Amino acid sequence: MNARDDSPNAAGSIRVLSAEVVNQIAAGEVIERPFSVVKELVENSLDAGALRIVVELKDGGRELIRVIDDGGGFAPQDLELAFVSHATSKLSVLADLDHIASLGFRGEALASIGSVSRARIRSRRPLDPSGHEIGCDGGAIDELRPSGVAPGTVVEVRDLFFNTPARRRFLRGPEPERARIEELLARLSIPRLDVDFTLIADGKERLRLPAHETLVERAARAFGPRLADHATAVEVRWDEYRVHGLVGSPDLARRDASLSLLWINGRLTKDRGAVHAIKAAYKPFTMHGAQPVHLLLLAMPPSSVDVNVHPSKAEVRFLEPRRACGILHEAATQGLRGHGATAVAGGAVGVAEDKPRAVTGFPDLPRDLFGRTASPSPPAFARSVSEARVVPAAAPNPFARLTERPRFLVVDDLYLVLEIEGGLCVVDQHALHERVLYERLLRQHDARDEVLVQRLLLPEIVEVTPTDKAWLLEHQDELAAEGFLVDDFGGRAVAVHGIPAVLRKASPKRLVESLLAGDSEGSARPRAREAVVERFHSMACRAAVMAGDRLGEDEITALLAAAATLDHPHNCPHGRPTVLRFSAVELERFFKRRTGSCGVG
Amino acid sequence: MKTLCDRQELQDAFAVVSGIPPLKSTKPILQNVLMRAADDGVTFFATDNEMSARSALSSVKVSEPGVILLPAKEAAALLRELGDKTVAIQAKDGRCRIECGGGAFDLLSPDASEFPTEPSFTPEVEVEVAAKVFQAMQRMTSFAVAREETRYAINGLLLDFVDGCLRMVGTDGRRLALAYANLPSNAQRARAVVPLRALQTLAKAVPGDNDETLRIGFGKNQMRFTVGSIQLISQLLENRFPEYEQVIPKAAESTIEIDRVELERNLRRVAILASDDVRMVRFKFSGNELEMTAESSNVGKARQTMTVDMKGKGGSIAFNPDFLIDALKVCELDVVRMDMTDGSIPAKFTLGESYCYVLMPISGT
Repeated sequence: MNARDDSPNAAGSIRVLSAEVVNQIAAGEVIERPFSVVKELVENSLDAGALRIVVELKDGGRELIRVIDDGGGFAPQDLELAFVSHATSKLSVLADLDHIASLGFRGEALASIGSVSRARIRSRRPLDPSGHEIGCDGGAIDELRPSGVAPGTVVEVRDLFFNTPARRRFLRGPEPERARIEELLARLSIPRLDVDFTLIADGKERLRLPAHETLVERAARAFGPRLADHATAVEVRWDEYRVHGLVGSPDLARRDASLSLLWINGRLTKDRGAVHAIKAAYKPFTMHGAQPVHLLLLAMPPSSVDVNVHPSKAEVRFLEPRRACGILHEAATQGLRGHGATAVAGGAVGVAEDKPRAVTGFPDLPRDLFGRTASPSPPAFARSVSEARVVPAAAPNPFARLTERPRFLVVDDLYLVLEIEGGLCVVDQHALHERVLYERLLRQHDARDEVLVQRLLLPEIVEVTPTDKAWLLEHQDELAAEGFLVDDFGGRAVAVHGIPAVLRKASPKRLVESLLAGDSEGSARPRAREAVVERFHSMACRAAVMAGDRLGEDEITALLAAAATLDHPHNCPHGRPTVLRFSAVELERFFKRRTGSCGVG
Repeated sequence: MKTLCDRQELQDAFAVVSGIPPLKSTKPILQNVLMRAADDGVTFFATDNEMSARSALSSVKVSEPGVILLPAKEAAALLRELGDKTVAIQAKDGRCRIECGGGAFDLLSPDASEFPTEPSFTPEVEVEVAAKVFQAMQRMTSFAVAREETRYAINGLLLDFVDGCLRMVGTDGRRLALAYANLPSNAQRARAVVPLRALQTLAKAVPGDNDETLRIGFGKNQMRFTVGSIQLISQLLENRFPEYEQVIPKAAESTIEIDRVELERNLRRVAILASDDVRMVRFKFSGNELEMTAESSNVGKARQTMTVDMKGKGGSIAFNPDFLIDALKVCELDVVRMDMTDGSIPAKFTLGESYCYVLMPISGT
């Protein structure tokens, strides 16, 4: 039994790994492909204060990745340690982990890159007369040498994975790699409008993002003009929390979440709780499963968020999740709200236990989710100040300016074709009526001054996982504010004592399951509300006129009049579109009236 | 097998069991009814593995005993359409021939030996109750039974026999209906949760004006009901019915007596204006007046007052009106008694000599 204790090598098959191999393994976790190299290097450049970053690729990064920046550069003694594992100039003591405001912090990036490629760093601090360089060839680090280099840092990575052929084999072709890197730079560039980004692939400039443009301009360059055209700029402040960015219209929603982007303190994150809070705002306007398009940046005190929970930094942990999610939801809601809506954002955060409606980070959510039911002034219990700016949304209510007796054409007893300002539109009568009824139900619900609960004679005992249970109990107050009375029942069980009275016949157990259907992070209030609102969807759907119901002229006029007061006329509650619009411009384009010289008249 | 039956009696006996076979089944043989002809008469038997029923037919002439399977759905429909006084049923080359008047109908008949046999059943406790009384209790309680699948234990009616008293309890977690009958029996305590479907089948089989006695046999996992020649055996639901006695309020701060007819009429009127999302009518008692109000922001509001006889300080309480109307419909008394404390505690309604109803209010959080 002593053999193992005395000498680790005695058994012959178990050996301590060399530092080189350790780095290679670690590299596998961080460095998967050229994309990851660029990500680490550009993040380093940003942290070094660079204002101009050029990324050059050859053969999609297999042959060469070069990142040139004009940042602070390395001191010679730091450069010497650059390729040593866990060397980082950014963190020296654990306590620093509390204040991570920089993008990269794990200190293994350069060492990992050096261990799987032939890498070289040339660097010069702006005030130094000359610079230095150091190389690392598959983990073997050169000596530090003087080098003639402009102020800043140039990192060259050649022959990536030359010594790990298995990984090299799995690289995709140069085009997909280049595309991913372009996308990466686009994402990294959004929080840094002050930085100039350039991507050159095989000698050709593929992306150029000049510094000091507006967010909209940069978004247009980085993600294409369509996004920028169909998005609303928003800004919300709750004390030291601030969200700004672009909220894409529901029409932009995609099947993948690649443009559902959220940065927290400049770092892109996929934190599910936060993402869910944004999605909840979109829910009434998008089809099930559609992923909204948004570029939102949340700035908050670094001490209120732990970014050090996920190796690729995709998740974060909030000190005050309700608040963080609350402001994100608020920003998205404001962005989605129709034209001309004035924001009424109460920021009563974590206060007002005496007012059930106001216990959560979504103090005023049920009322101001839909502008029209919102009270004209901030509610009395809004205690902290909030500012909000709403730029008119791209799509105003098309029914708002119809004449009193609009002209229309009925097609198939389903579609109404009518003339609207600046074009014409086609309406789905069922979808539009459904929306009208839905908003009516919602207003009726929100107009009640108390949340009505159907109490249960026999509390329903529901077994849940320990995580879910903790979540339910933690959010007891928020859930109660929407009418879900949940209590601890010992063991793995919770007892449901009451459910929202609007959900009359629903099974309490199913309701709890639907509350838990998301993940255990994030706010409870929007989810609880979703469960309630879901019922209005089905009530509205059942009550609405159907496709094929023949409507009289008066009925259609009345429907259109009701539609004029809708907050969100563009989608039925399930997210299907209600209106198809053809602008005069589109019509002109189609009939080639704009281009030709062939006697249009 | 060869028989000659009285048509009406045949039709009635067949109808008792013909509803039991499952409409969809992966075991198609279950969609048949087994007919057994013996010297002393004919019996029908059907099962869906959860419950089974047997009925008998005495006005019959059996010229050749035997066993045969009849497709439940088609045979039931056919028997309903036959006009003559007598019907002849006989087995012939794997078919079942039904002859009546000038008509002859050959139904394919699978091999009866593969049909499940009748379950054997030995009751642990057996009690007797007038069929009429049992059916009344069932009417008073079954509407309150949960229809949702998730609360398995309360998807049935509880039969609880304790101290010579048979109690029947139905609840869906929001309300609870309890009816009871004192029985001359010395049997010890027995308790079972019976699926609603079994009791509905029983109710259909036994006409309302029946003066016969119903024998209820409590078994371990099964229950047997016997009335005359009809016997029904049902599996029981998992016996984890909630402790219903605890939710029935023992004391109340106010006791109100209300005219039943007037209450039901007024409540129906007011309920029309209860909004379509939250169904709610508020009851406010002060002095000897009951004020009922409902409001629907899309439609309007209703207010109705009526005189009641109250002891206590009164107060306000809100209910889903449909829950109360359900119970008033089967109420036996002319004057309803309501015991309440406040708007967050269940109210108890006494709706019959041996019938009470507990209703949980709707309230703010």
